[in-house]
Amino acid sequence: MNSKYIRNFAIIAHIDHGKSTLSDRLLELTGSLTAREMQAQVLDAMDLERERGITIKAHAVRMMYPAKDGTTYQLNLIDTPGHVDFSYEVSRSLASCEGALLVVDASQGVEAQTLANAYLAINHGLEIIPVINKIDLPSADIPRTREMVEQTVGLDASNAIPVSAKTGLGVPDILEAIVHRLPPPAGDPEAPLQALIFDSWFDAYRGVIVLARIVNGRLRKGAKIRLMSNGKAFDVESMGVLTPKPVEIDELSAGEVGFFVATIKNVADTKIGDTVTEDNRPAIEALPGFEDIKSMVFAGIYTVDSHEHTLLRDALEKLRLNDSSFFFEPESSVALGFGFRCGFLGLLHMEIIQERLEREFNLDLITTAPGVRYRITMTDSSVIEVENPSRWPDPSEVEQIEEPIITATILTNEEYVGGILKLVEDKRGRQKNFEYVSATRVMLTYELPLNEIVLDFYDRLKSVSRGYASLDYQLSGMWVSPMVKMDILVSGEPVDALSIIVHRDFAYDRGRALVSKMRELIPRQQFEVAIQAAIGAKVIARETVSALRKNVIAKCYGGDISRKRKLLEKQKEGKKRMKRIGKVDIPQEAFLAVLKVGEDTAGR
Amino acid sequence: METLGLYISVPFCRSKCTYCNFASGVFPSSYFEQYTARLEADLHTARAQAAAWGAVLPAAADTIYFGGGTPSILPAELVRRIFSAIRGELTVMPDAEITVECAPGQLEEATLAAFAAAGVNRISFGVQSFIDREAALTGRLHNRAIALEDIRRVRTAGISNISLDLIAGLPGQTAASWRESLAVLADTGVDHASIYMLEVDDDSRLGREIGIGGLRYHAVEIPSDDAIADFYIEGVAFLAGQGMMQYEISNFVRTGAQADHSSRHNLKYWQRAPYLGIGVDAHSMLRTGAGQALRFATTDELEPFLAAAGWNEPHWLTRREELEEAWFLGLRLNQGVSLTALCEEFGAENVGEYVGRLRELESEGLVVRSRDHVALTAQGRLLSNEVFGRFLEERAAAV
Repeated sequence: MNSKYIRNFAIIAHIDHGKSTLSDRLLELTGSLTAREMQAQVLDAMDLERERGITIKAHAVRMMYPAKDGTTYQLNLIDTPGHVDFSYEVSRSLASCEGALLVVDASQGVEAQTLANAYLAINHGLEIIPVINKIDLPSADIPRTREMVEQTVGLDASNAIPVSAKTGLGVPDILEAIVHRLPPPAGDPEAPLQALIFDSWFDAYRGVIVLARIVNGRLRKGAKIRLMSNGKAFDVESMGVLTPKPVEIDELSAGEVGFFVATIKNVADTKIGDTVTEDNRPAIEALPGFEDIKSMVFAGIYTVDSHEHTLLRDALEKLRLNDSSFFFEPESSVALGFGFRCGFLGLLHMEIIQERLEREFNLDLITTAPGVRYRITMTDSSVIEVENPSRWPDPSEVEQIEEPIITATILTNEEYVGGILKLVEDKRGRQKNFEYVSATRVMLTYELPLNEIVLDFYDRLKSVSRGYASLDYQLSGMWVSPMVKMDILVSGEPVDALSIIVHRDFAYDRGRALVSKMRELIPRQQFEVAIQAAIGAKVIARETVSALRKNVIAKCYGGDISRKRKLLEKQKEGKKRMKRIGKVDIPQEAFLAVLKVGEDTAGR
Repeated sequence: METLGLYISVPFCRSKCTYCNFASGVFPSSYFEQYTARLEADLHTARAQAAAWGAVLPAAADTIYFGGGTPSILPAELVRRIFSAIRGELTVMPDAEITVECAPGQLEEATLAAFAAAGVNRISFGVQSFIDREAALTGRLHNRAIALEDIRRVRTAGISNISLDLIAGLPGQTAASWRESLAVLADTGVDHASIYMLEVDDDSRLGREIGIGGLRYHAVEIPSDDAIADFYIEGVAFLAGQGMMQYEISNFVRTGAQADHSSRHNLKYWQRAPYLGIGVDAHSMLRTGAGQALRFATTDELEPFLAAAGWNEPHWLTRREELEEAWFLGLRLNQGVSLTALCEEFGAENVGEYVGRLRELESEGLVVRSRDHVALTAQGRLLSNEVFGRFLEERAAAV
């Protein structure tokens, strides 16, 4: 198709601001799906979503729209993940578009995530169409929402489109705006092929499926392609577009978006942001913006039952088949046995992986406290990177420690600002900006150590703001900080899996809070159990779990022996889910106790 | 000839205790007649049912136990009907122990007379506490004076074998009030006592309140686990000083009395002798001709019980399960488990598998071995679940 009649766009919205409903409405209006198919489609997509854990339905849907000017346009809706953990993927999806709909809830206003993605879109030179959704709600305030979009995002919102995705009101105006306000893709169909990979996954039946935007040239079925980051060549076996049903076609040309399946076996070969070119007529250079995804958050993953270690390895390998963004390597812990050190894009990503391992592979896991990667300059001037507390060097050999820093944007209502300021100060934050974006909305910009974010920042932000604060962040550098390794000793024995890295000035309070939380989490045993926090040889906090005094079924229950047996079995099962270290049974939660340290004590 | 223990469940109460989730409850008395009819019918069909499962139902019963609920609130007429049905289906041995659980203050004169006339020779009073406030806080309807008066009445009616239950750990209980309850119990001169540590059922009113950290039912006045353990230890010592020796985790009997007043019915549970349970949430254990044990029960809710006749499908125990039961039931008794008897029943090689665990428990001070017997220590009784759990088979690791 002539690229004059193509429009590629994304939808940027905060969670619950109506992105899915609006997508459905657009599909319906362009006749891409009948109401009945719609239902089926949604369900399929939900399966996929569950399967992949992180995706949003319909990544790249082609719709044919007969506009009022009498011409039929090809509209490609490129859906993006919506979480800060996946900001690189978002940036690649946006790089595949010329425009974006910025959907804002008429009663909620702009949230941090929306803002971050809107900035990202503007920086990519995208044309933005503000859409004010949920105008059917009684609490909708269109003028105020316009004002907020102008103040926070800095866009002219006078031509924002008021709609209700739920009722369909105003949605046809969006389609017309896409056609008339967004530019068609530039790009030369005759030039050597350059296609941008913006998503890929492993399908058990078809192998690796790649979603790509053709920037220049043409991609044909049967062609030999080359991936520019690694130089590997593959044959294109089939290709097509999602309407959202997959429809096979033979060619995609400059400006178009679609999927292809080639002889690629390993999803790790198809890196997001990579450029696909033709093997026999390669492009001179790759498209800009390619980055190797780096893990930001690290944790050890172990099975409760050490016999399941190989099952865990198999599971991790299988998961990596369709999520190449996490890494793992074997590690061993004195306390937990053999396990894996895993790196994730962020906390959500870590939770997803953990949950999938437990649910899909039926594993009982122990995850150690998440941490970040430190850059340590040694006294001999060598530089090492350490993300595992067990590899922390002897302090006498350390010259300087640098920790990763993020710049966080927090949007909230002014009544919660006090609590949030206290929280970010507690978390060693440094204020960069404080701005009223409307009469009652405040935007805070802070630099914070990533180490503090990965602990319990989200939960505490949520609690101090009663959920009315949104957060976005990006990595923004390193600080030199006096970090120390804090060990936890149970019955006098250091438990390596419980060691954490903390800022020296916070160590005492963190240690006290941590051992007191552990005392709550470790059930009473037949003997007294001491829990200590120590830095080097110096014990900085101690709590005691006193010995269990009674565990007995007294009553006869009229000869109900099965009831007794069940109770005994339940207790035994509960113990099996704990990790025995020395003679002490430690429940799984205790290994993440550092995340559960109460608000009243944490981080002060 | 093997004899049977017969259990009759009476799920009716005048009020529901806060810590209880038993099948018992406060039902209108119109249910009593209907329920009695069902007991009669089940007594009648039990033999055929047992035969259908290949189980032996002994012809003679030497213990009968009316448990609840509150069996003492049955009208005299229904007491007579139930006993008539029992004697119609089973030979009741002349020296049979026939127990009825009673709540103090809930025993009509006519009912007491009917019990005595029917041959009831043992009464177990659920006193729980002789401190009036403690009894009231958990929803009991009696006070100390009423309880003492009822004990006197039962004796006057010719029933001298009396057991009293006390609960250690009731809301509001203190070390001093616990001592007082124990002292009053001793003063009564009864030959048998049971001391239970408060077990709050999760889905009882009190259990739910504790679950949500609430204040109702005096949940916050429940003594700590440590205090309850101390009460128990003190109770054991105090009763010993009164000549009442512990013979099971929760049970005490006067020594040197003319007869041994240990509960012969409850001993059947711990010694795995056959028993038949009739009524709602009633449990049975019988054996086949070849000696295999099977356990079965009725549904644990009154309405479904009345709506549909019959027992739930039995569970036939494997040899392994029986051996496990032999351990965790037998060890409840202070005399412990006889290794010789166990080897005779299950084979030395099977019993031998537990030697390592026994040594471990011994080294932890939870069990003690003396010649042929293995028994719990005092510490082991308080931590008996920890001990019993070790005797259960490890489930195969999940794949």
